[in-house]
Amino acid sequence: MPNLVELSHISKSFGGSLAVDHVSLELFGGSVHALMGENGAGKSTLMKVLAGVYQPDEGEIFKNGHKVSFANPREALEFGISTVFQEMTLLPNLTIAENMYLGREPLTAFGSIDYRKMNSDTQAALSELGLSLPPQTLVSGLSIAERQFVEIAHGVKADASIFVLDEPTAALNAADVEVLNKHIRRLRDAGKAIVYISHRMEEIFNICDTVTVLKDGKLVGTRPLSEMTPSSLVAMMVGRELRDLFPSRGQGTNGLLLDVKHFKIGASTKPFSLQVHGGEIVGLAGLEGQGQQKFLRSLIGQFQPFSGTVAIKGKALPLPVNPAWGVRRLRSMGVAFVPEDRKEEGLFLGLPIAHNIAIGLHSARSELAIAKNYRQLIADSIKSLNVRTTGPQAHAGSLSGGNQQKVLLGRYLAEGVDILLVEEPTRGVDVGAKSEIYKLLRDFAAKGGAVIVLSRETVELIGLCDRILVVHGNTVVSEMAGASAAEQDILNAALNAEAVVEQE
Amino acid sequence: MTAVLNNSIVQRLLRVPPAYYVFTILLITLWVYRPAMLNPNVLGVFVRQNAPLGVLVLGQLIVMRVKSIDLSGGGIILLVNYFISSGLFPDASLAFFAAIALGTGTAIGLFNGLMIGKRHASAVIVTLAVSIMLVGLVQFLSSGKPPGDVPSFLNDMYDTKLGVVPTPVIFWAFLTLIVAGLLSFTVFGRFVDSVGESAEAAHFSGVPVERTVVLAHTIAGFIAGLAALVQTASIAVGSVRVGLDLPILSVAATILGGVVFGRGEGGVWGPFFGVLSFTFLFVVMTAFGVSDPGKLIAQGAIILLAAIFYGVRLARSR
Repeated sequence: MPNLVELSHISKSFGGSLAVDHVSLELFGGSVHALMGENGAGKSTLMKVLAGVYQPDEGEIFKNGHKVSFANPREALEFGISTVFQEMTLLPNLTIAENMYLGREPLTAFGSIDYRKMNSDTQAALSELGLSLPPQTLVSGLSIAERQFVEIAHGVKADASIFVLDEPTAALNAADVEVLNKHIRRLRDAGKAIVYISHRMEEIFNICDTVTVLKDGKLVGTRPLSEMTPSSLVAMMVGRELRDLFPSRGQGTNGLLLDVKHFKIGASTKPFSLQVHGGEIVGLAGLEGQGQQKFLRSLIGQFQPFSGTVAIKGKALPLPVNPAWGVRRLRSMGVAFVPEDRKEEGLFLGLPIAHNIAIGLHSARSELAIAKNYRQLIADSIKSLNVRTTGPQAHAGSLSGGNQQKVLLGRYLAEGVDILLVEEPTRGVDVGAKSEIYKLLRDFAAKGGAVIVLSRETVELIGLCDRILVVHGNTVVSEMAGASAAEQDILNAALNAEAVVEQE
Repeated sequence: MTAVLNNSIVQRLLRVPPAYYVFTILLITLWVYRPAMLNPNVLGVFVRQNAPLGVLVLGQLIVMRVKSIDLSGGGIILLVNYFISSGLFPDASLAFFAAIALGTGTAIGLFNGLMIGKRHASAVIVTLAVSIMLVGLVQFLSSGKPPGDVPSFLNDMYDTKLGVVPTPVIFWAFLTLIVAGLLSFTVFGRFVDSVGESAEAAHFSGVPVERTVVLAHTIAGFIAGLAALVQTASIAVGSVRVGLDLPILSVAATILGGVVFGRGEGGVWGPFFGVLSFTFLFVVMTAFGVSDPGKLIAQGAIILLAAIFYGVRLARSR
């Protein structure tokens, strides 16, 4: 069977770093092709080349055997390539129809915009996907899932033959994922080629038939999924066996450090309790946005929980926490919170590494105190964190993602706290740095500290944690030991909880 | 163009605050064309004129480094000037006037800080509104007429010198040293750096972001009180218009000194030379016989160039 599109030896670099390195990829009609790889492996860049967002430095694109090139996404769409990016590209203050026809509105005989045609064509495209949204709806009034469907409908209307979905389910709940999968199967059965980028193993095996794995911008291989298992796929992605990635688990626990009782995130959510002891790493697992982050962030005051009690090392933390002082309050009680978004919430990218590490120590002191230079401590931190840098005066922004993440973690480790609350410890970090970060967390626990880790990567939680709590619908629905947990168990726990919730 | 900008030497040169370039160029111009003007006594008189601005700039650069701005300095100067020159407090001592000036400045700075730091109101609007209210207040109190005389001991002090250097200039330089020390050696200085770079990251590092902004504005108010004393001493009689252009000039000098909102690369001495550049621009223009409107145009043009210069830099560093 001839391919619909062929990407041949595509290379693309940004500044000095090669994001995509001579990657070739063939897409066939009637097939759902998974594109996998760690964050930063080059998946999105490759797809942006296909979508005309980036021009390749090297390599060619063939459609139906003819060489093509796109100056921008609209040209790509005219060639039948429709892309739904991670970041939404719809304008919220326009209607669905206006978004679909943006920049090429049909005109009436009098030269005014032909809204009647716009709306009826949009209606047709939406109903082809089984959507009953009125085309005059403002996009701002749509849910994330509906916006994604609208983007897909955009491609349908343009009669695209190739659909690229870049992490379409990252913000969707399980029910919407199922609806999305239905649409994807429908497109596949209509003979379209679909590229599906996702980190969720179960989705990949559920819906795709072929998988291409990228690593560090290079092609690792393309295989039929029928030949793969989840663990062989992960091994292909990380380039080594998983168990080598994680340090060995903890050797028992000591005293109770964090005691959360009858915690209700919202007025109508089920209360839950959790305890974390010194020496253990506890993971919070679950589908996206099920309350894991709300729980952690209500401890620093970013959310106001409905009720509950929190005791840290036996001392009560009064709820709700004042958002302006939450981080400092927790810090004074021996708790550090490591935020998820290291570029926005974590690091001072334009300031030296030294400042980034020492600021946690500075902030515990009075404004009028003379600032200590902490030179030795910073040097020791950089050494023990194994940060690859030219020196402590290098700006944090000059580091790679993994080294930035280590510096961020180093700041909170240097604070000498007993409890670490860590969001996404390895987001956008290469495998080598991941392994080092796991070890840092494990060492912290081994010295008697308690760690709560929140992660979207279930594999990471299973490998790293002593206990895993599955969070769903703003409450803890299941607990399992990390050593015996399997990805499927965690998913089942979350999905079954959903069934229970729906029956109520 | 891109290739030129990528060059590391060019990069390094672009990191030097524009004030240093402007100052050097003006100095050379003067040296080549009017060497007679480079007499310490002559220059001292010119530099002294800008001492109130120089002092006010020290507060401005602190708030600008936490991504805020303070335009209320004009109102503070006017109010303090009124208190001192109106004869409300006859026979009061220097200490009393200083206490009034600093108290007024600090209180207004604290109010600005609370509005901006805690209430998250727009810094431009809050401080401008405060300044307008203060100007109105002074006009109301003085019924629009200029108040009386400034006590002569203030003016006498203003005229003293240490060697060839006028006392107000020494006072200004000394204050600059103190502010430089405050920002380089205290925990507060670290907080200012952090909030200026990223308020979000500062928050998650445990930096008391709101308190830092409030404190920065309070210090700026205190410094505006000092600037008001120097400004009042520089004129013999009270006025209902004195110092109103100083806040915007202080913003300009701070930008010229390399401090762009949140970016403290020019440190404290960059803006110091920014003020000196304005002084020397004035000297050069006077020496070449340019009239006042021409001086204003040249001053504006230099600020504009500094902004363009920084536009290039920011685009590069993104």
